Amino acid sequence: MDTLTRRKFLSMTAGVVAASAAAPVLRLSDIAEAAINRPLPSGTPILVLVTLYGGNDGLNTVIPYTDPIYFSSRPNISYKQDLMIPLDSQLAFNPSMKSMKALWDARKVAIVRGVGYPKPDRSHFSSMAKWQTASPERHINTGWIGRWVDSQPEDSMLAISLGSVLPPLFAGAKRSGSVLPLGGLTVPSGTLGMQCQQLAKPSRTDSSLMASAASSMRNLFSVSSTVQPILKAPAPASANLPTVAGGNAGGDNNLSAQLDIVAKLISAGSPTRVWSVSLGGFDTHANEANAQSVLLGVVSDSIARFLSQLSGTSRSSDVTVVIYSEFGRRVVGNGSQGTDHGTSGPMFIIGDKVNGGFYGDQPSLKNLINGDLAVTTDFRDVYSTLIEKVLQSPPDQVLGRWSGRTQFMRV
Amino acid sequence: MLQDRLEISRLFHRFAFGPKPGQFSAALKSGLAQTKRDLLNVPAIDTGAQSISLPVVTDLGPRPAPNTAAVLDFASAMRSQTQNLITWWLDLMVASDHGLTERLVWFWHGHWATSIAKVDYPLAMYKQNQVFRTYALGDFQKLSRAMIYDGALQFWLDGQTSTLKAPNENLARELMELFILGVNRYSEDDVKSLAKSLTGFQVTTSTGEVEFQPTRHDSNPVTLLGTTKHFTAEEASDFLVARSDCQKFIAERIWYRFISSSVEMPGNFASVNAFSNRSIAAAIKAAAYDPAMSDAKNQMVKAPVEWFVSACRALELIPSKLESSAKLIQALSALGQLPFNPPNVGGWPAAEAWLSSASAQYRINLAQWLVKQSSLRAIKEFDPDRWFINSADWLGVSQWSPRTQAALRESLAKPTEFAVLALTSPEYVVNA
Repeated sequence: MDTLTRRKFLSMTAGVVAASAAAPVLRLSDIAEAAINRPLPSGTPILVLVTLYGGNDGLNTVIPYTDPIYFSSRPNISYKQDLMIPLDSQLAFNPSMKSMKALWDARKVAIVRGVGYPKPDRSHFSSMAKWQTASPERHINTGWIGRWVDSQPEDSMLAISLGSVLPPLFAGAKRSGSVLPLGGLTVPSGTLGMQCQQLAKPSRTDSSLMASAASSMRNLFSVSSTVQPILKAPAPASANLPTVAGGNAGGDNNLSAQLDIVAKLISAGSPTRVWSVSLGGFDTHANEANAQSVLLGVVSDSIARFLSQLSGTSRSSDVTVVIYSEFGRRVVGNGSQGTDHGTSGPMFIIGDKVNGGFYGDQPSLKNLINGDLAVTTDFRDVYSTLIEKVLQSPPDQVLGRWSGRTQFMRV
Repeated sequence: MLQDRLEISRLFHRFAFGPKPGQFSAALKSGLAQTKRDLLNVPAIDTGAQSISLPVVTDLGPRPAPNTAAVLDFASAMRSQTQNLITWWLDLMVASDHGLTERLVWFWHGHWATSIAKVDYPLAMYKQNQVFRTYALGDFQKLSRAMIYDGALQFWLDGQTSTLKAPNENLARELMELFILGVNRYSEDDVKSLAKSLTGFQVTTSTGEVEFQPTRHDSNPVTLLGTTKHFTAEEASDFLVARSDCQKFIAERIWYRFISSSVEMPGNFASVNAFSNRSIAAAIKAAAYDPAMSDAKNQMVKAPVEWFVSACRALELIPSKLESSAKLIQALSALGQLPFNPPNVGGWPAAEAWLSSASAQYRINLAQWLVKQSSLRAIKEFDPDRWFINSADWLGVSQWSPRTQAALRESLAKPTEFAVLALTSPEYVVNA
């Protein structure tokens, strides 16, 4: 850890540790010593992918609030116009997305409209596979981040997904990203720990799956020794969010818990370029309006809280958050106060380096394709831009030849 | 001989839940052909299963109003019954003398993946499990019809909200995509048509009872996969099951869960033909006899429940009698697989998904907890000169790698450590 980073680290944690009287007192030097010993060089861009599982209804997220067809298409699941949060004369946020609106006003939110891929697939699993593999035409076993990991020098800290199961997004051909559960990783100690490390060694007789099993155990040891001390420290404080009942507005939920860990590790200098977090429950076939509103509130508040936590650190302008889901939903409601599987939806790209505003054409409600929204932007345009501008790598080696770009990043 | 070991290991770990101490070496003695017959044969009396008492699951009725004393009792009954239901099924997987039946019940649960997270009521989930038991190795046409009348599945996929006036596509789509035909073997119009054929069901979730209300059903003709007429739900189910795509799809799923989740099913996989009369037993038997069973590349990762159950069998532990059911449920949740709680209607993932650094940690933790509750009889009976082969036989492992052999040798004097290492080794987590 270089001295500059170390000093920043100490100053960053100082207030927090002093303030949390009830928590066990951690000596600042302990945290600093334990922190990442090969921090990400300052200014290196960091990508945070937020996957919304179930098919988020884009039309009730970024709402064409002045289009009468919107209201006539879904009388039971549209929101009252006066509750929506207008962004311009045509589009408004879902009523629950107040925190996102503040980021939008600060011009930190790019909304790419009508994102999808050719021949939309209405199966959750096929569609999510297409998004995560970035291969809509042909089924493949690697994810686009996994292929990027393959192209980089081996480092178990390079890409980290929160949870316990490896998402297809992170699977590479040679190696995969790491997976970090909410409670962190702890390894067995003593002789058992030593024998487990022996068990984690590669063996020439290993098949590819056995080799993966051994390498996952190796990653457990390498990631654990790096992150565990940091996870014991408190999360960075949210510098500019109001405090409600002892906690920051945003509430306690799994997404914010995942992002808390990401914030801790980013601010400690983790050499991680890609983070993956997720939230499920968007498959709103019935009683949608309330359920989706709650979920979008969680997304919006958690992201705002996360960026606020980072705003006090040197990494705040390095982070770019991307939000996507496997598909949008049918324009016309289904009569169970819900919507069935649809096609395109908006993607959100959020951060200091993002040029806020709308990108891509808003799919027309008049000219539907079999009752569904048209796809106006291919997700590979967005991915290429992210690979180029955030991961600073040639998109071709991840996506093959792809010329489309969406210029939502400030150069 | 080595080839026989491989196939016998695959039979035990894929067509059952792994060997109990002594079973694998006995199978080696009786030979591959006999072992195959034994594992595929349904015993007349399953004394192991009979030793497990039925779970207490009752009709808990509608949820009482919030903030009342009644709702607290309701919630606590729901919690304890759900816990009881989960450990009852795990007990059966461990104790049953007919691993294949339990394996198929587990397979069908992952196939018609329904989660108690939405259904809520344990009784409805128990009844669905009984449907899987009834048809585990039976007639797929009958299984499919029974599932349409299954309250848990109907509620899970919003069937009860789907009416003549407002059909809901959820159940219709998954019936074609995930349960009967496979993705892209139908059009979007077929989804809409099938949704109409499936209208009119009402569910009482607390009991899992399904009632058909003709006035809510759309009895107009629809065009489903080229045939135009009015389909009742049963007719629609039979119609889909009769299609050759169903034959191919179920064989694909058997391939995926029994043979390989990474290699694609070859067109000549024996289960395809064997399933022509929709007999599940015939398709499973054909899989066990297919040459793919001896092909080295068809390795399978044990999903967490499969790993846990086979570990309990090896350690001679009964899940409900472990120190704490709550702790067990927490451990399986951390590993990402709790029975009755699939993550979504597609069921659980496979292969590499279970091989993350996080899973490695949770497996080690759970193995440590299990091992300290076991007498470790099998390990203590190893012949010191033959520990290498004895331990592979104990767990039904085809062959230890030099790497794992080195780790195990260091722990020979410590049975608990030895057991943890063997159970978390790549050769046990992955079935060669």
